Amino acid sequence: MNSSRSADSNRCAGVSRRSFLADTGLGFTGLALSAMLARAEQPFDPTHSVWTLPDGNPHFPPKTNSVIWIFLCGGLSHVESFDVKPALNTYTGKSIDETPFADVLKTSEKNIVGGNPAHGNRKVIMPLQTGYKSYGQSGLVVGDWFPHVGSCADDLAVVRSLWTKDNDHGAQLTWHTGRHVREGGLPTIGSWASYGLGSLNANLPEYVVLGTPTGDCCGGAWTHGAGYLGPEHAGVRLSADPAKPMPYLTAGKDGPTRDEQLADLSLLGKLNTLSGIDYPNDRDLRARLKSYELAFQMQTAIPETLQSEKETESTRALYGMDQPHCRDFARLCLTARRLVERGVRFVQIFHGGGGGGAWDAHSGIKDNHSKLAAEVDQPIAGLLKDLKQRGLFSDTTVVCGTEFGRSPGAEGNGRDHHPAGFSAWLAGAGIRGGTAHGATDEIGFHAVEHPHYITDIHATVLHLLGLDSHRLQLPDRQRLAIDHGEVIHQILAG
Amino acid sequence: MFSSPITLRQWQPALAALLLGVIGSAAAEVWPWRPFAPVNRAPVPGNVAPGGAIDAFLKEKLAESHLNYRPAAPRDALLRRVYLDLIGLAPTPEERASYLADSSPEAYAQLVERLLNDPRHAERWARHWMDIWRYSDWAGWADGKQIRDSQPHIWRWRDWIVESLAADVGYDRMVTDMLAADERAPGDVAALRATGFLVRNYKMLSREQWLQDTVKHTSLAFLGLTVGCAQCHDHKTDPLPQTEYYAMRAIFEPHQVRIDHVPGQADTTIDGLARAFDNDPAVPTYFLPHGDERAPDKDRVIAPGVPACLGGALTATPVALPPEAVAPQRRELVREAMEKAAEVLSQNSMPADKALAEQKLTTLRALFAVERLEDSGKKDTPEWIEAAQACLSAQREETRRAAQTAVTTAETAHAEALQKDAASAVEPAKKLEEARQKLATAETACAEPLTTAYVPRTLPAYPAQSSGRRLAFAQWLTRREHPLTARVAVNHLWARHFGSGLVPALADFGSAARQPSHPALLDWLAAEFMENGWSFRHLHRLICLSEAYRQSSAEVGADSAAAIDPDNRLLWHFPSRRLEAEAVRDNLFHLTGGLDLTRGGPELDQNLALTSGRRSLYFRCAAEKQSEFLQVFDGPSVVECYERKPSVMPQQALALLNSDVAIARAKAAASAISDPIDDPTLFSELFIRFLTREPTAAEIAACTEFLHQRREASADEVRTREMLILTLLNHHEFLTLR
Repeated sequence: MNSSRSADSNRCAGVSRRSFLADTGLGFTGLALSAMLARAEQPFDPTHSVWTLPDGNPHFPPKTNSVIWIFLCGGLSHVESFDVKPALNTYTGKSIDETPFADVLKTSEKNIVGGNPAHGNRKVIMPLQTGYKSYGQSGLVVGDWFPHVGSCADDLAVVRSLWTKDNDHGAQLTWHTGRHVREGGLPTIGSWASYGLGSLNANLPEYVVLGTPTGDCCGGAWTHGAGYLGPEHAGVRLSADPAKPMPYLTAGKDGPTRDEQLADLSLLGKLNTLSGIDYPNDRDLRARLKSYELAFQMQTAIPETLQSEKETESTRALYGMDQPHCRDFARLCLTARRLVERGVRFVQIFHGGGGGGAWDAHSGIKDNHSKLAAEVDQPIAGLLKDLKQRGLFSDTTVVCGTEFGRSPGAEGNGRDHHPAGFSAWLAGAGIRGGTAHGATDEIGFHAVEHPHYITDIHATVLHLLGLDSHRLQLPDRQRLAIDHGEVIHQILAG
Repeated sequence: MFSSPITLRQWQPALAALLLGVIGSAAAEVWPWRPFAPVNRAPVPGNVAPGGAIDAFLKEKLAESHLNYRPAAPRDALLRRVYLDLIGLAPTPEERASYLADSSPEAYAQLVERLLNDPRHAERWARHWMDIWRYSDWAGWADGKQIRDSQPHIWRWRDWIVESLAADVGYDRMVTDMLAADERAPGDVAALRATGFLVRNYKMLSREQWLQDTVKHTSLAFLGLTVGCAQCHDHKTDPLPQTEYYAMRAIFEPHQVRIDHVPGQADTTIDGLARAFDNDPAVPTYFLPHGDERAPDKDRVIAPGVPACLGGALTATPVALPPEAVAPQRRELVREAMEKAAEVLSQNSMPADKALAEQKLTTLRALFAVERLEDSGKKDTPEWIEAAQACLSAQREETRRAAQTAVTTAETAHAEALQKDAASAVEPAKKLEEARQKLATAETACAEPLTTAYVPRTLPAYPAQSSGRRLAFAQWLTRREHPLTARVAVNHLWARHFGSGLVPALADFGSAARQPSHPALLDWLAAEFMENGWSFRHLHRLICLSEAYRQSSAEVGADSAAAIDPDNRLLWHFPSRRLEAEAVRDNLFHLTGGLDLTRGGPELDQNLALTSGRRSLYFRCAAEKQSEFLQVFDGPSVVECYERKPSVMPQQALALLNSDVAIARAKAAASAISDPIDDPTLFSELFIRFLTREPTAAEIAACTEFLHQRREASADEVRTREMLILTLLNHHEFLTLR
């Protein structure tokens, strides 16, 4: 791992997160912060098991420091993007029954929890709605909707053999927690990273959410929640608009000015310290002192981080901020880079959120996907290139996923939901670029080679962060093997 | 009763061997399946206080570790604690002054009694039980046109909880009515509100998930058992075979939800009573291999039953339902509401529609006259024949007037079309002709001889019998020998007084869960609970009067105790904890003079929580419909909330520093300060108001320095006070129950 971030070198020298935070400047409270913990600890009977609260240290040497987790809401067609299937052109207009792949329908319910019966498997093969080409030295094939991301092919590791449990958009939540939407809000992958490692920056939250998240139908706020890990590990939603990035970040009408607030907080620090004299073991009090420090810092650090205008013209152009069709998403991607650069552990970016999700192209997939891909293609590629040129590619991992693929068969001029086989890709620190791992059958129906349930992506990401999710598990919250997932070693760099 | 090792061996030899190996004695003695037996313990000699027994148990354990209680808490600290704990609101300066002025030895006990009888106590503790019973307002889409979770008007269940606690209704009765009020008292509409406990599980998208939630959460709430784990396989650690999961499911399989009318409202989407009832007592419960609902084993129909390990049996007797439960829409209150609505409509309708609207009212009255005769057994009497004929006559007249109105409308449309051109009038002409034909038919009908064949209302038909399964289940739960019901409830109540339970995992009493810290105390309390009519108030009193509760929370100077018992499981000091979201918000309004103590009623829009002074439990609480301010302070999850886990995080600091509500309340409090006032008096007044105590010399010094600096920066004295008050609203003690 190679990074310019001072926090990183601290951590690599074996300094734990807590002592790191303790050394991060003395605040207005005038207290020695080394006496503080980063969070209130939950009491736990140490005799019951060997479990301990994570201390902010990874379990083994990490390959990455931060994760940028991009999520395309609604279901990106895998067969026309990262798992291109020329056979669909060959068998256009034929029912799957009449092709050599008639068998796929017999097992169509495999591993899938029943959902909306309206979303049956569409039988009549629809041809590819875009072209495709191979890119780079790896020759990775990418659909023509993604030329910019295609140009980064040698950095991508595509997993082409994912499957998920839900054939409706509740799968958006499943992508983040591994569980069906009916099971409610459980810890998301971002919250596990926050819980296990904490932040590298005392001025910013550990887990930040950008863009419009999933609609209420499909998990809503649960898609960036922390479930039983507690709200301090939930994603903090930031609007990329520097004017109002989060609730209560700036004072309401007639609220305190910064000077007044500083005076208030200075007094508050003194009073709270006095209040703690008789309570030397009050963990809440220590956490409270710390939380006011961070709150105060966030009020300036967050708006500062969101100032993407401060970037050079060429950087902004790299992301596509000069182009109306992709400006909004470009801002999110650029903000994500500014966040990880400042030590935020996990940045989650939603595209096309709300309702079932913008990518849900039941009809007019050609128009839908070409428009949406244009919104994200250059910004995502710009992010990868920018991370690279700044040396951040060696300690930041980017993941780009969606809740399921789209059916090889036609639904009018669109494609239906398809959870039995679909793709996602990873890039950056710890990832073997130019890789295509796993495969669906020739028409993209089932994940047939190295099938991976989606939590295998979670396990891989945690592994890169130096975490073993079994060791993070809470003693009274036993998880199943499928919740933990398995690391996809084939896509990891040497 | 699960009383012999044989039963356990029969259930699962491997686990039995394991348990017996660990315990080395009869399996019946294994916690928590041990049969329930009241424990007789003498209180500490010479201690006549009612809370003495609790202390005897606690002190016994403390002595084993050479520990003891901390000294008694200062009077004002205890005052603040018991106010926050029992009514969720800190004492006002006046309440503090009057308490401190009362030096009689009974002052504290009298205060506890007063608070327990305070209506605000019921509101405070209702929210605790709403957590455990998973209170949720409806969630869904399209402004209520699509209800996905829970049901509208379920606030009536919340009000039932508050009222039941205010009246100290026994827990046994409360549990029974939540599970089966429609079977215990099918005609008692006040009691029917309790079935909101079941209604709350409604899930439009999946009956399967609905029933899964019902079984899982009923077990967690009342039994403290993870029965839900046995949905797909035998329970891994508790003696609950998979079949028993489906036996429990069968108890609930017949039930459904519906909305009955309430007096004065004809439209149940506007107001009504959301309630449970048995819709299909005969519906089978199939065994689902691997819990897979797509592949039920239709050869295995599972009968309703209860877990064998808990003893007893389920003996369900079908309950015959009274007419008001079977045909609720034939109740007089519904007729009155419908008549009232028709009256209003006829009075407010436009002249062109008036004749029809008036006739509709007449028809309705005629129809109800027939129904009333039928309901009183007078069908086919001359009186009824006359009424039925009158009704038919009114119905014919209504049809005629409707047809007449249609003709008038069609004529106007036709005339308008003719003004344009002949071609566009073709279709209107056709419609006019049809309307005229209908009118002719209606007129002919009016001239026909009258019969009794009036058109009755189409009403939903509900079964005349309820399966009685849920009532039987409630009776099984609340029998004195039940090993878990009382223990689980007592433990929940204890945890909300002391911050953690005697059994640490509040909803898991299973054999793999953590053991109770004071099993004998738990059993004694459970016995005391049941012997005193399952009275929560009795338990609150016992606990609040105990020495354990009245000791200081400060742990300074007790380093050895902190080393021996760092988590304070033995209660060597009173445990401090952060206030719940509702208490934070309520006190923000209360201590700044803005709390509105209006009680009950429909849930309020969650976004009003920042401006309305109503107590927090009255704001909408549903998936995705919860106050952001309350959520920042870890407000309840509507999925499950057996235990709050209060966090301390920067978003809370921001909410209390920057939110409009914090600033507005600080301003309100500042404007209430009487001028002129010298600084030390100001500090004293503010500390007493917000923290229930006088400031120390060091605190006065810090505040003096603050004022000094602020006055140098600004001449605005009111503003300076606002900032001082805002600081105190962020004070650790303001947010903490100590």
